[in-house]
Amino acid sequence: MNEKTKPSLDARRAFLGKLGFAATCTGAAMGVGALGAIQTAAAKSESSSGAAKSGPVPTGAKGASAEGNSFPTPDYDWTKHKWAFGVDATKCIGCLRCVEACKRENDVPGNAHQFRTWVERYVYLDGEENARIDSHQDPVNIEASGSQKEYRFANRYKDAKVDKAFFVPKLCNHCTHPACVQVCPVGATYRTKDGVVLIDHDYCIGCRYCVQACPYGARYFNEEKGVSDKCTWCYHRITKGLQPACVEVCPVGARVFGDTNDKQSPVSLFIRNNRVQVLRPESGNAPNVFYVGIDKEVN
Amino acid sequence: MPKHIFRLVCLIFGGLVVALIAIPILTVDSFYRFGHYRANSVPEIAAQEPVYQTARYCLACHTARVAQWSANSHKSVTCEICHGAAQGHPANGKLPIPKDPVKLCTLCHEAMPGRPHTQPQIEVAKHNPYASSGQQCTACHNPHSPKIATALVKVAGNAAAGKQRAASCASCHGEEGISPNDTWPNLAGQNAAYLARILAAYKSGDQKDVAMTPLAQELSDADIQNLATYYAGLSCKAAPSGKAVGDAAAGKVLAKNCAGCHGDTGLGSNPAWPKLAAQKPGYLVNVLKSFRAGLREDPMMAGASRSLSDTDIANLAAYYAQQSCQPATQGRKTP
Repeated sequence: MNEKTKPSLDARRAFLGKLGFAATCTGAAMGVGALGAIQTAAAKSESSSGAAKSGPVPTGAKGASAEGNSFPTPDYDWTKHKWAFGVDATKCIGCLRCVEACKRENDVPGNAHQFRTWVERYVYLDGEENARIDSHQDPVNIEASGSQKEYRFANRYKDAKVDKAFFVPKLCNHCTHPACVQVCPVGATYRTKDGVVLIDHDYCIGCRYCVQACPYGARYFNEEKGVSDKCTWCYHRITKGLQPACVEVCPVGARVFGDTNDKQSPVSLFIRNNRVQVLRPESGNAPNVFYVGIDKEVN
Repeated sequence: MPKHIFRLVCLIFGGLVVALIAIPILTVDSFYRFGHYRANSVPEIAAQEPVYQTARYCLACHTARVAQWSANSHKSVTCEICHGAAQGHPANGKLPIPKDPVKLCTLCHEAMPGRPHTQPQIEVAKHNPYASSGQQCTACHNPHSPKIATALVKVAGNAAAGKQRAASCASCHGEEGISPNDTWPNLAGQNAAYLARILAAYKSGDQKDVAMTPLAQELSDADIQNLATYYAGLSCKAAPSGKAVGDAAAGKVLAKNCAGCHGDTGLGSNPAWPKLAAQKPGYLVNVLKSFRAGLREDPMMAGASRSLSDTDIANLAAYYAQQSCQPATQGRKTP
């Protein structure tokens, strides 16, 4: 086992310890009687889970004093931001630098089939009704790049009669009503106050319900760590005032990221000045990645 | 109440008590602080260190490079796209310089259906026919300022005025722009835009030459235009190719690498670049050597001349000196 799994082993040991303790308590509790037991439990819960267990209050008075005035980090207050992402498919050149940067930034396994973001190519050939769709994990494209650790679109339609073609970058939509959060049986995935859907890798039990629940196929399963994984909009970067890695490296500005609370942020302007659409609005997830320049066939 | 029902109730009640006690014990501190999740996992995720450091990080040391890059058309292509993530640099050593520029550049610039028309795109086979034999994009293009100087200078001078001014040039470059000397260049029939550009460079000091710098400094902008127009209008038909030392046949093979800009026979398609056909071989040798040594500065030629040996240079000069300067040869293509 590598180092990554060590904390979860420790957690398991601690869990079993607590279970033993609970079993011992049971005997005692039976004797003490119902009312007393409930009171004990209430007192315990008060002391163990802390005073901040005040439910949905954003920055509980005592919790805030423990961590300064902001959560999750001293320099970043998640109540003051509402992140959103814009994709201008008319600008995308399909260079796949975003895919490579994302892999590197977030330590995503170096193969073509596990990824947090990807780019799809839609090609309508002359006389064909449906688009031909491929992405970097298509065998032809893997062959063109030379390995599964490099990403490149093969120029496979060079000599074909192409009616219309475009690239569509995709990633987690960080939905307002995320289906993946709904199905998680252990509370390992959740939506933050600033509008990012995250995964708690310590709590994820690897059941993969969320992978199936996501209507966008944004999640993958990391066998090595035994957890689900997906795009975090580079939460560790945006909380430090940086752009997500994919936005940072996009050479043509096809990816736009920002704070919708700031009316002059790139993404606010992007949404205001363009006629944007989202993918699969009918799914009811209320996604937060806004697209410009895609066909209805893209979903 | 029957005994067995009482036992069942007791069992259920007991289970309830166990659960009520167990839940707070088994739930970690920060769970439910904001919702049905462990609040502490948020700062844990936020604490991860960024791998990509942005161009601002590079600016701290690579000031000159960043200045050149940020003033040019590749400014939207940040450092880390080509050189990789800067985390750990410089402590962990140098960042890589891409080994295979053709592979890297074509990621964005290979002509491909689906790429927007505003994206500069090339067909490798046509644009750089020698890519397969190792000719890299960087031979001509500086990746930090990839745009190649083209004929943006419009030359509109007066040839008659230029002829008068040219009287003082004649002693070296000949009455008709055909130099009597092997080491001084012919000017007759040369591209006007190139002549104007190079004269302006002598004048401004961007290009230096013992003889040319003081002469060019005396010229006004109008003089430069007039001279360029005059010499460009002269016929090069009488151009005698000087005695060449090199092997023209070997030069022809090498010249394929130059053809992208200077044409197959030294007659390029772009007027901003000089014609080489029928030029003095001694002059060509000198110029190539000074490009190679960095005495004459040009990002493109510096790259192109870097790998040439003295023999290569002599062969190239011999080849170009033999070519006809008349555009009658229809062999030239515009790649």
